[in-house]
Amino acid sequence: MIGAMHDAILDVRDVHKRFGNTTALAGVSLEVQPGELFGLLGPNGAGKTTLISILCGLSDADAGEVRLFGTRFTRADRGQRRLVGIGTQDLSIYPDLTARENLRFFGKLYGMRGADLESRIDELLAGVGLMERAQDRAGTFSGGMKRRLNLAAAIVHRPRLLVLDEPTTGVDPQSRNLIFEQVQALNAAGVTVIYTSHYMEEVEKLCTRIAVLDHGKLLACDTLPHLLKMLDATIRFTLTNDATGFMERVQALLGVKAATTDERGYKLVVEDIARVLAKLAALCRDCGTELATVSTREPSLERVFLHLTGRALRD
Amino acid sequence: MPILTLALKDLRLLLRDPRSAVILLFMPVLLILVLKQSLGDGFGEKPDNRLRISVVNLDRGLPPRPGRTFPTKPWSEVVLDDLSGSSDIRLELITDRDEAERLIERGRRPAVIVFGPDFSERMDRTSFLSKAEPPPVNPLDRNGVRFDRLDLLLLKDPTQPVTASVIEQVTQVSLLRVTVPWMIGRAFQRVGDPAFMDYVATKLRNEPVPPAVLAELDPVMQKLLDALLKDPEFQLMMLKAVGPKDAFTIGNRTKEFRQVMGEAFRNKALMTRVGKEIHLGEMLSPAVRDEVGPKVKEGVKDLFSNYNFESTTWADLTRDLSRDVNESNRSTFTDSSGQGLLKLGSADYQVLVPQNMVLFAFFLVLTLGWLFVAERKHGTLVRLRAAPLGRGQLLVGKLIPCFGVSLLQAFTLLVVGRLLLKMTWGPEPWLLVPVVVCTSVAAVGLAMLVASVARTETQVAVFGTLLILLLGGVSGSLMPRELMPEPMKRFSLITPQAWALDAYSQVLNTPHPSVSLVSEACLVLLAFGFGFLLLAWWRLDLE
Repeated sequence: MIGAMHDAILDVRDVHKRFGNTTALAGVSLEVQPGELFGLLGPNGAGKTTLISILCGLSDADAGEVRLFGTRFTRADRGQRRLVGIGTQDLSIYPDLTARENLRFFGKLYGMRGADLESRIDELLAGVGLMERAQDRAGTFSGGMKRRLNLAAAIVHRPRLLVLDEPTTGVDPQSRNLIFEQVQALNAAGVTVIYTSHYMEEVEKLCTRIAVLDHGKLLACDTLPHLLKMLDATIRFTLTNDATGFMERVQALLGVKAATTDERGYKLVVEDIARVLAKLAALCRDCGTELATVSTREPSLERVFLHLTGRALRD
Repeated sequence: MPILTLALKDLRLLLRDPRSAVILLFMPVLLILVLKQSLGDGFGEKPDNRLRISVVNLDRGLPPRPGRTFPTKPWSEVVLDDLSGSSDIRLELITDRDEAERLIERGRRPAVIVFGPDFSERMDRTSFLSKAEPPPVNPLDRNGVRFDRLDLLLLKDPTQPVTASVIEQVTQVSLLRVTVPWMIGRAFQRVGDPAFMDYVATKLRNEPVPPAVLAELDPVMQKLLDALLKDPEFQLMMLKAVGPKDAFTIGNRTKEFRQVMGEAFRNKALMTRVGKEIHLGEMLSPAVRDEVGPKVKEGVKDLFSNYNFESTTWADLTRDLSRDVNESNRSTFTDSSGQGLLKLGSADYQVLVPQNMVLFAFFLVLTLGWLFVAERKHGTLVRLRAAPLGRGQLLVGKLIPCFGVSLLQAFTLLVVGRLLLKMTWGPEPWLLVPVVVCTSVAAVGLAMLVASVARTETQVAVFGTLLILLLGGVSGSLMPRELMPEPMKRFSLITPQAWALDAYSQVLNTPHPSVSLVSEACLVLLAFGFGFLLLAWWRLDLE
């Protein structure tokens, strides 16, 4: 986990939140650095939406502190809220307004006016591929188009921190790619993004750092490679014929953490599959045998998540 | 600025929502037209618990007659004065008979009294006499007064027999109160007057004096003789007439003479014989008549001292105070039924239009509720909450378009009422402005309160509609408020709608609207509105 930095754009310190007898957040602390694309993972009910609500000023923490851009942030702080954009899990657009009217409304709500607003709207409509449908009511759009418009509405006021809560839920591949492109372009332009998703591959693909939340607690928060290191790779194989002393020699191979056998053959726990596989092939030749079957299993974010939470993301 | 942005957005959404346009603008007009057709004519007229008696007065009045002291006006006016003296009756004067017949034909009046041209002339001739010059009119029969003999006609709607009968009986009573004293007074003037005594004497003239009458005259005769014979003047007259000797003889034999006279008077056969040529009428000589006539009249007066038979009015006859003539009980009929299929210009619209203005003003509860629910449903409430907006800005931003729509709705209905339905805006149209504004404040306040607690479209539809119908029923905006009993009317003032309706009624239907009453209603409406808004502020849950 990255240590505390003084220039963190978001600093969440020991935040607690309860709803009646339910603990939604139990002492969550994390930091997000400027320009980061920060992933937030957690199964349903983990506390993600509660945390996002607090970060966006929709609710206040019962205890703890949230500092945004170096300043303590509460719901009443309208100035800070101007700097945050929210892409909600559910759509947040007016179906009876056109795409342009939706963006104009949200832009004005954040104080944008005139030519600046109109050029920003044009820029966003082009960016999310809705320029041709700018004058159509959002209610007539497909799910993917609505999602894209929803994202555009979240960033029309040029937020410095963008919180996206499952922005690709139920969208077609084309829209998903457009959203990815937008998010990456925004991040490249310096916008800090907090991204939650049910799709591990999205987080793996987009996020530089990932936090895993469950039961209101932060279980892990690190870069993807560091998270993946929490789990080892495995190699399973069988031999064409048994060789004397093979097991002892395999265990002694560099990079093999553990070696076991069972009815399915040999199982090696390794740090680097490719390196160990090359050595394993050479060992087989030395022992006068050959690999009959080989299968490997790399560590993945999904496995890390399962390892940390004990359940799949969609449970 | 965010408030204006929010307001303009909601206004745009409202205008794009055909549901709102239908509810807020089309439905009220449709309901007004439907109610007008289904409720028929007349309910929009000024409410009155008094019995309305409609009258057509064609009476030519009385020809001038020197010395006449009563009546000094046409007899029809005397009858109308009597009718208007009843506080529970109001008179409606219709100018022509054709109009009256139309009203009866259309069932708009149960009965109309028509005073014919000769009513006064006939009334003047009413008498107990069977013969007189001019010929007397006897208006009485077993049912009371016969209208036809007085050139009086009662037009009746056969479909409203009960009310028509009530009006007929009321008219009967008034006519009796006018005709009977007049006839009694005129009859009593005749009692004991010379003509009457002559008539009596004439009737007695052919009747021989019964012996009993002569026998009863004996004491009179005895007293007369006794007094005469004792009187010195009579004695002197006798002395001169018959000389001293005979005068002395008569004087000495008086006692015997009086005895013989007494016996003769008591002798029935003798009296019958000698009285055969004497008629009773001769005894009722002119001097006797002059003496007896007034005494007879006085005797009757004394005997029936509770009544004044010389009177011409019922009050005088009964020695009571006069009935107060109440001119305010009279009004002139004006045709307020309107014209054409839609009954354009009908007075009913003076009630229906404001009634539905108030009812549908509060349908904003649904509109505003839906606006809030739509924000939740579309997820935009989250974005609004995340935006740099205060709770107050959000409320006001929602409130402004609804207030604007409410004003638009009210003024549109007033304009439609004026231009399409030909209603009037009352003598002080400017008073409509504060009433409309304050009603809208109350309606928007209530709408905001409902919107602050309802979370789904169903809740808005169910709670909102029930609330509107309940308040509409209590306040009288569902049915004409004038139909409500007085206690319920007072109770209904717990609703803003009732105050709004009273204010509209004051402005639209009163000849001289009271600014203080309208102001009071407006202040109460404002209090309702801001009270609701405070509750809405307290209850509003944006989570």
